[in-house]
Amino acid sequence: MRNQELVQVGKSALKVDGRELVTGKAKFSGDFNFPDLLHGYACRSKIAAGYIKDIDISQALKVPGIVDVVLPKDILGGNIVGILPPYDQPVLADKEIRYAGESFCLVVGTSVRAAKAGARVVIATIEPIPPILTIDEALAKDARKIHAAGNITVSKKLIKGDCAKAFAESDVILEDTFETSNQEHAYLETEVVCAVPYGDGRITVHASCQSPFHIRGHIAANLNVPVANVKVVQAYTGGSFGGKDDTATEIGSLAAVAAVRQGKPVMISNEREESIVGSTLRHASRIHYRIAAKKDGTITGKEIKILLDGGAYAAESPFVAMKALIHSAGPYKIDNIKVESTALYTNKTYCGAFRGFGVPQVTFASESMMDELAKKLKMDPLELRRKNALKPGDLNATSQVFQESVGLIETIDKVIDLNRSYTLPSKKQDRYLYGTGFASMYQGISNGAEGIDVVGASVQVMQDGSALVGIGLTELGQGSRTVFAQIAAEVLGISLDKISVKQVDTDTVHDSGPTVASRSTTVGGMAVYKAAGEVKRSLLKMAALMFKTEENNIILKDNFAQLVFDENAKIPLNDVCVAAYWTGFPLMNLSFSKAPEAKYDQDTTQGNIYIAYNYGTHMMSVRIDKLTGEVKVLKHLAVHDAGKVVNPKAFEGQVEGASLTGFGLAHLEKIQYREGVIINPNLADYAVPTIKDRIPSETISIETYNPTGPYGVKGIGEPPVSGAAASFANAVAKATGIRFKKLPITRQVILEAINRKK
Amino acid sequence: MLIEFICNGKEISVDVLAEMRALDLIRNELLLTGTKCGCSKGECGSCTILVDGIPECSCLLLAPKLQGKVITTIEGLEGADGELHPIQQAFLEEGAVQCGFCTPGMILSTKALLKKNPAPTVTEIEEGLSGNICRCTGYTKIIKAVQFAALKLKGSEI
Repeated sequence: MRNQELVQVGKSALKVDGRELVTGKAKFSGDFNFPDLLHGYACRSKIAAGYIKDIDISQALKVPGIVDVVLPKDILGGNIVGILPPYDQPVLADKEIRYAGESFCLVVGTSVRAAKAGARVVIATIEPIPPILTIDEALAKDARKIHAAGNITVSKKLIKGDCAKAFAESDVILEDTFETSNQEHAYLETEVVCAVPYGDGRITVHASCQSPFHIRGHIAANLNVPVANVKVVQAYTGGSFGGKDDTATEIGSLAAVAAVRQGKPVMISNEREESIVGSTLRHASRIHYRIAAKKDGTITGKEIKILLDGGAYAAESPFVAMKALIHSAGPYKIDNIKVESTALYTNKTYCGAFRGFGVPQVTFASESMMDELAKKLKMDPLELRRKNALKPGDLNATSQVFQESVGLIETIDKVIDLNRSYTLPSKKQDRYLYGTGFASMYQGISNGAEGIDVVGASVQVMQDGSALVGIGLTELGQGSRTVFAQIAAEVLGISLDKISVKQVDTDTVHDSGPTVASRSTTVGGMAVYKAAGEVKRSLLKMAALMFKTEENNIILKDNFAQLVFDENAKIPLNDVCVAAYWTGFPLMNLSFSKAPEAKYDQDTTQGNIYIAYNYGTHMMSVRIDKLTGEVKVLKHLAVHDAGKVVNPKAFEGQVEGASLTGFGLAHLEKIQYREGVIINPNLADYAVPTIKDRIPSETISIETYNPTGPYGVKGIGEPPVSGAAASFANAVAKATGIRFKKLPITRQVILEAINRKK
Repeated sequence: MLIEFICNGKEISVDVLAEMRALDLIRNELLLTGTKCGCSKGECGSCTILVDGIPECSCLLLAPKLQGKVITTIEGLEGADGELHPIQQAFLEEGAVQCGFCTPGMILSTKALLKKNPAPTVTEIEEGLSGNICRCTGYTKIIKAVQFAALKLKGSEI
């Protein structure tokens, strides 16, 4: 694959599902319609903690159009969701309410309107108990236990070298504490599922979701039926960013239970407020950071304590805590590292995956500290990063070594180079402050420490020379269907217009786990590459017979089989396909890709974890209005080593989108609570960036060759969030001379700090 | 009550409840599901339709208000021969579509903008699309798509 001349990979192909999307024909879960469709609407707690004494549904059942109210006892299986151990979350709260917004019954009616009317007259008697709302309250010695095992969900350690010695022998020690707030995914389409008993003895669920196989397992468990009786088909999904993983299992199970009870299709479509209060958020965090260095800028040790506020249920906290642990020391060669990463329960909306998965929080802390260290040592911040940057052959935080595809220094050099030709406007105008900030980051690609990483894919070539690709990973807007089509097209020599990529149907492909960890292009791409390669063998074999030559004399290109040494000697691929079919050569393959397994010590988190890392360096220049605190981003460079880029335009789209999410995290977005109740659960009071908030991101790719991905690819979906958020914080610090230690650094926060400083 | 209006060039005569939202009429009765519901509060713009050429959030509009109006939904843009409208083509070509849920509303707001202002500046584009939220793209490619569409249309009748 290395140095191969590529026809499809590396080109900005148009999105293969784009036509459906621009015409409004794409069918999202909420667009399904059945004549006997019922709608489910959940009753949710208005308080953060309490014991459920009684749920009176008698009035609700009298409301016209109400056909059923599903209570916890009606869930015949375990009444459990939760992707990972400890599996601590009920589908419907049974005895105890653990967060405001938790659902305790589902009202089912002939219309949404009816279901809501029914839900309004359900009488819940909930005895309030004092909620535990902060990290400190959860950690207090005499704290009430939110779950039987206590308030610590998980605690992990990373130990490399001898930190005590490194700190003792250092020239400089810096220490500080950083905090970040909850962030809401705010995908434009809320969570929607539609469960349909098609009368085939099974239950089918059309879902807006990220991980159909998770949903399938949970539905089966909660229905108490074999998994083989459940089919989940992903519908077009209006964004996910990590958020439609846990939540989709919850409402997917509920809709399935309701549908089986009625023998009719049931849709649950979360309202915007439900989508904010009743589905996962990004973990809020508190990170204590110590850094030891020599006078020349060599970082000799890092000691980090991470506390993640995970809300009421474990959800993906164990994995987020692990990812934060592994990434907290940053993309640097440091011999002595000691990290403890702990996730806690509080009586708030539960937290889970969100683009970046713990990395944005720790990168903000890490990169703020890097700038402070540079200031202390009077070094250029980019030089300090460059001096400590990981290179091929270095041991990273987990002592994993990559001999190639470690492009961090190249990303730093690119920023140094481009920054040289950029000058901030004159600082003479009194009203404005200007500053440029930098941040380097890395992010592991693949499930890594989260367990086995496998993806199934199918490739089927038809007699007319077209091909159908199936895959177990979901398209969420990131463009993976297009990337998979490009890879299949590259292998088979078939043009993109003849390739169709199915949405995920759990019946047709191997359980591929969740669509997470920026792994689609790498691990999923490899599965498609392998499946297409198997079919290609049939085509080459057939073409060789037709040409009366050896297979290695033939290439497949532009919908033809042609001789390597004579490009005019060619046979249309559809003729080869017809012949292959009638000769009995297989034209379909179901393939399987397995990433190299993580092997590491559980106590120290030392060993090989990810199959590759994405490396990046961001630069952000801001102008701050001293009178209003308003921030304008004048320049943003996002330089990443994401391996070979399959689709440059889609790549830019990922960087631009993820960067704005990082900017939102750093500057605009904050979930606000009063007594544990979210008080801004809408898109007016919760500030998702609008077009007027956009930042002028410039995307630059430093291509390295990653041997674990097809054609040398890595991934890009998540990493820019961290880079943008951390470089924003450093830019504001540079402009104002004030170090802000808590995200978001809003306009108001900046203004207040400037006024205090005066 | 019976209301009559023109939707995507077709005369519609339909019986509606006084309190029905235009969004529900369009999606559930006319089965034009390209119009999306993202918040039901007029905050996200996913449900944008054109009413006499002016973009409106159909979630905030009562169905009876459509009486006598000419409305356009995303389904009304594609040519009879399946040819994409230049704005749709521009969104596709510029990579301005990711998950696509905001796209119908974005495209309709763009159409209204370009009809009023065939050569908008970046600031005018931002103003014109400020009611439509997109969480995927970061908006940069959406701006490019609008500029590209403006160039293609050059003020021709849209």
